[in-house]
Amino acid sequence: MKVPMKWIGEYAPILTDAENYMNKMIMIGNGVEGYEDLGGGFSGVVVGKVLTCEAHPDSDHLHVTTVDIGSGEPLQIVCGAPNCEAGILVPVATVGACLPGGVKIKKGKLRGVESCGMLCSSDELGVPVELYPSVGSAGLLIFHEDYPLGADVKPILGLDDTVMDFEVLANRPDCLSVWGLARETAVACGTEFKKPEITVTEADGDVHDYVRVDVEANDLCPRYIARVVKNVRVGESPMWLRKYLYGAGMRSINNVVDITNFVMLETGHPMHAFDLDKVDGRHIIVRRAEAGEQITTLDGKEHPLSGGQLVICDAKKPSCLAGIMGGEESEITENTRTMMFECAVFDRASTRVTSRTLGIRTESSGRFEKGVSVKTAMEAMNRACQMIHELDAGDVVGGVIDIYPDPEEKQVITASCERIAKRTGVDIPADEIVRILKQLHFGVEREGDMLTVTVPDFRQDVTGEADLSEEALRVYGYDHIPGTLLRGETTPGGRSEAMRLKDSVSRKLCGLGFREIMNFSFVSPKSVEKLGLPENDERLNMLPIRNPLGEDTSVMRSTPVPGMLSTLALNMNHGNEKASLYEAAGVFDPIHRTEENLPTETRKLCLGMYGGKVDFFTLRAVAESLLTGFGIDTECEAGGEVYYHPGRRAVLKHNGEIVCSLGEIHPEVREKFDMPQRAYVAELDLNQIAALKQPMGAVKPMPRYPAVTRDLSLVMPETTQVGPLLSLMRGAAGKILEDAKMFDVYRSAALGADKKSIAFSFVFRGADHTLTEDEITKAMNKLLKAAEGMGAVIRA
Amino acid sequence: MGMSERINEIRTILTNELEQAETTQLLDNLRVRILGKKGELTALLRGMGQLSPEERPQAGQLINEARESFTAMLDEKLAVLKAKEREEALKREAIDVTQPVDLPAEGGEHPITLVMNEMIDCFTGMGFEVVEGPEVELDHYNFELMNIPKNHPARDAQDTFYIDDNIVLRTHTSPIQARTMLSRKPPIRVICPGRVYRADEMDATHSPVFHQMEGLVVDKDVNMADLRGTLNAFAERIYGKGITTRFRPSFFPFTEPSTEVDLTCAACHGKGCRVCKGTGWIEVLGGGMVNPKVLADCGIDPEIYSGFAFGIGLERIAMQRYSIPDLRLLYEGDVRFLNQFR
Repeated sequence: MKVPMKWIGEYAPILTDAENYMNKMIMIGNGVEGYEDLGGGFSGVVVGKVLTCEAHPDSDHLHVTTVDIGSGEPLQIVCGAPNCEAGILVPVATVGACLPGGVKIKKGKLRGVESCGMLCSSDELGVPVELYPSVGSAGLLIFHEDYPLGADVKPILGLDDTVMDFEVLANRPDCLSVWGLARETAVACGTEFKKPEITVTEADGDVHDYVRVDVEANDLCPRYIARVVKNVRVGESPMWLRKYLYGAGMRSINNVVDITNFVMLETGHPMHAFDLDKVDGRHIIVRRAEAGEQITTLDGKEHPLSGGQLVICDAKKPSCLAGIMGGEESEITENTRTMMFECAVFDRASTRVTSRTLGIRTESSGRFEKGVSVKTAMEAMNRACQMIHELDAGDVVGGVIDIYPDPEEKQVITASCERIAKRTGVDIPADEIVRILKQLHFGVEREGDMLTVTVPDFRQDVTGEADLSEEALRVYGYDHIPGTLLRGETTPGGRSEAMRLKDSVSRKLCGLGFREIMNFSFVSPKSVEKLGLPENDERLNMLPIRNPLGEDTSVMRSTPVPGMLSTLALNMNHGNEKASLYEAAGVFDPIHRTEENLPTETRKLCLGMYGGKVDFFTLRAVAESLLTGFGIDTECEAGGEVYYHPGRRAVLKHNGEIVCSLGEIHPEVREKFDMPQRAYVAELDLNQIAALKQPMGAVKPMPRYPAVTRDLSLVMPETTQVGPLLSLMRGAAGKILEDAKMFDVYRSAALGADKKSIAFSFVFRGADHTLTEDEITKAMNKLLKAAEGMGAVIRA
Repeated sequence: MGMSERINEIRTILTNELEQAETTQLLDNLRVRILGKKGELTALLRGMGQLSPEERPQAGQLINEARESFTAMLDEKLAVLKAKEREEALKREAIDVTQPVDLPAEGGEHPITLVMNEMIDCFTGMGFEVVEGPEVELDHYNFELMNIPKNHPARDAQDTFYIDDNIVLRTHTSPIQARTMLSRKPPIRVICPGRVYRADEMDATHSPVFHQMEGLVVDKDVNMADLRGTLNAFAERIYGKGITTRFRPSFFPFTEPSTEVDLTCAACHGKGCRVCKGTGWIEVLGGGMVNPKVLADCGIDPEIYSGFAFGIGLERIAMQRYSIPDLRLLYEGDVRFLNQFR
């Protein structure tokens, strides 16, 4: 909320500069975004009276004037404004003056005639029409009022002020008002808050003879106050009022509307004025809208209503959206003769819902949403009526309608000084607590340690002892809070199991040169569709977000693969030679729900690589080494996900259960993801790894007998899979086989086009004796026989 | 010719040859020629048979002395030659050690993970336990139990992603706090790190997905000073010696009193600079005493127990620490960015 400091100063002296004031307010809990000097744009501009105004001898539009600025000889100034004439009061930029945009006024000659300054328009001074109605850029700003010649124009226009931009906390709607902020200011600056005395001067007549008010929806409108003003004299607001409204960022409209806005800003109570002659039957009804009703708000827009919204109606139809915006028809115009002021309180939630649904947010709706005190409404109404009298804008009819069926009790809290202080961790003396609460306008009665605290009417946020702690502490000073470490019973603490597993995976992958990435958890459904999954694949069921930012972030991901592919593509397209990436990614399954009906969340691990010498086998080695590191042995089988190259994809199985699927990305999928290079992706499931991982157990004894190595080259058809072949040979060789490796693949014309020769190396060792040549030969024969069963023969 | 003349003759040959021998190979040959089975000195020994028995002992002694002396001469030369040869070999094997090398690819964790781990280490050291929870969360835990009822301005549709009326993408990790309080008895000391979601368009300083770490302590006699002490310890650990906290009054529905917490600007150590806009402080986190209503709603008696809670945005810490100019870099996965982290 923006407020000129002078306005606040009328009710609580500030006595310090803007910077200091800002800091003091922040430290007692009133956020400040910043402050702005209103008249920063110019200096050296004074009030002058045009004494004479003659045509310029050498120009058809310039005037040569003499101007009295109250001191010395009148100045000769050349002026081009069409509305320049003798006798007017205007702003005069004297020699040496600065104008907005950095223009400096110098003595000069215009078509041969000397000119000692400049007569200014509103535009040239940066003064908007709302602040000072004038002819705008077409001519000079002419003062309507009588000001002393030579007076600085800044105070006249209210531009010698600083506007504070307060960031009012959500629990302090009372501070969305000048009075609220002035109360805080008095506490912050150690001065006194003084509210103006409010008296209403009533003319003859009785409000009940002018209007009837019925509140049908008491639950949504706990209080409705109405007063009537007759002989309304709509006109321009005085300068002081326009200044304050301008400083607060509002436009001046006319005296009556300005009063409602001024009172809203000053007291925090939104007000509304109705042209009573336009209110059908002079009957106001506050009720819920019926479905199909329609309303035209004063911005000229029509809103069909779905029913249930709180509306203010006349005898025939809804005319206002309660607390949000008035109706076009009953708007105050210069022809208004009789009007009704409304000062009411509307339900927070109801206002919020209607304002959201219809997409209308106003100063008024914002205040009702945050909460307006029902107890202080009468004060606001009376303040408005007082101003009607003071500005001579009409005659206030006697009497008031106040529909307030269920008056709110004063909020009373009993509290202990000791407990208030204990919560803060600061030894605030009881006397100090009492003093602070009184300073904040709480009623306090003390009996020893116990306080009976009456909450002031404007504070809706204070309901218990904890709130009093905060009040005491913020004024006593948050700086007084000491720092103490935790005491009491100790707790073991530490990382969660899931986190330790992820850390362990990260350590292994980082050692292998992988970089961790983080992708958004929501994706475009199209990115998953691009994978070309079969129709019944569960990953096509994605959890939709009801109000997404856009299509590309509209569903929760069911697989980490599209995100990985996009990241790989980005790196390729940025010209990065290679990348090895991993992501520990949560995925969401909307079909299988938890006991709480939440979608199942699983943590996946996705690896992606491209560039350099990377191929399918590099990635498979990484995946296997990762799994082996957790004690999970796997067998590799060809086949797997459809988005992989059909000849270059596999699954790793542990006891028949798939623990990893991996492959080279299918060229078609690569195209869809705009990936110019081959890339390799593997997916694992961290929850599954957690379930399958084996503790390391005891170490094996060091071998005591020597090992013997035998190599073997086998020729076999190209289609024979080496993985299963090696497994078979391993199994056949018996337990003296310690290790078996493939170390070469050889193809040649001599072997034949559809043949390959694979070289293996076998390491044998006896656990309790040195192996004999005979034992080794027997084992070799067994594994060779097994190999022959798969169509492999010893290479000649 | 007498025995000693013969020996002297051989000594002369040996001395001359030793002069000449340039390699250990030549030296070996010389050793064989003099001392070998068919060597010259050995021949003298064999020739002893022709001597009279009286002459033999003396001759034998002379030959043995010569053998020892010759061996010593050869060994001495051998040591010299070996040293020379080694020196030459070392010279030959010298390489240009300044030649550029290929580094093995270095992996690394995401900057958010780096920051998160450091913070977790700090808090687990103070006895906090890490607790995690679902990202797609019930409105009940995310809002209602945090004292943010339906239609409260703090849960504007613009801020929260909804799945349906009852399920949201968690907007903070506070629902984990609620779940923890409901399932455990004090003393509770937990930290809740994780992803959170707000409906903000992505730009240099906003992201619809970001990370938070919240902390919660519930025990008897917990107060604001304990919160400050804990956060002071955190500030020193993460930002270094001399970094401390400033508390400013604030408001959160789930804490009372509430505070914004500023840390001494690490760039200028509080003197005031561009980073902190001259104030000497950087706004880092929020916290406060757990609202008694929140405790009660989560099944903890506020008459007996009190608690504090705080929440820290990890992106902000990472961006400050590594001077990351644009939040988007964290979610792009460009290796030119990631490879810089160690």
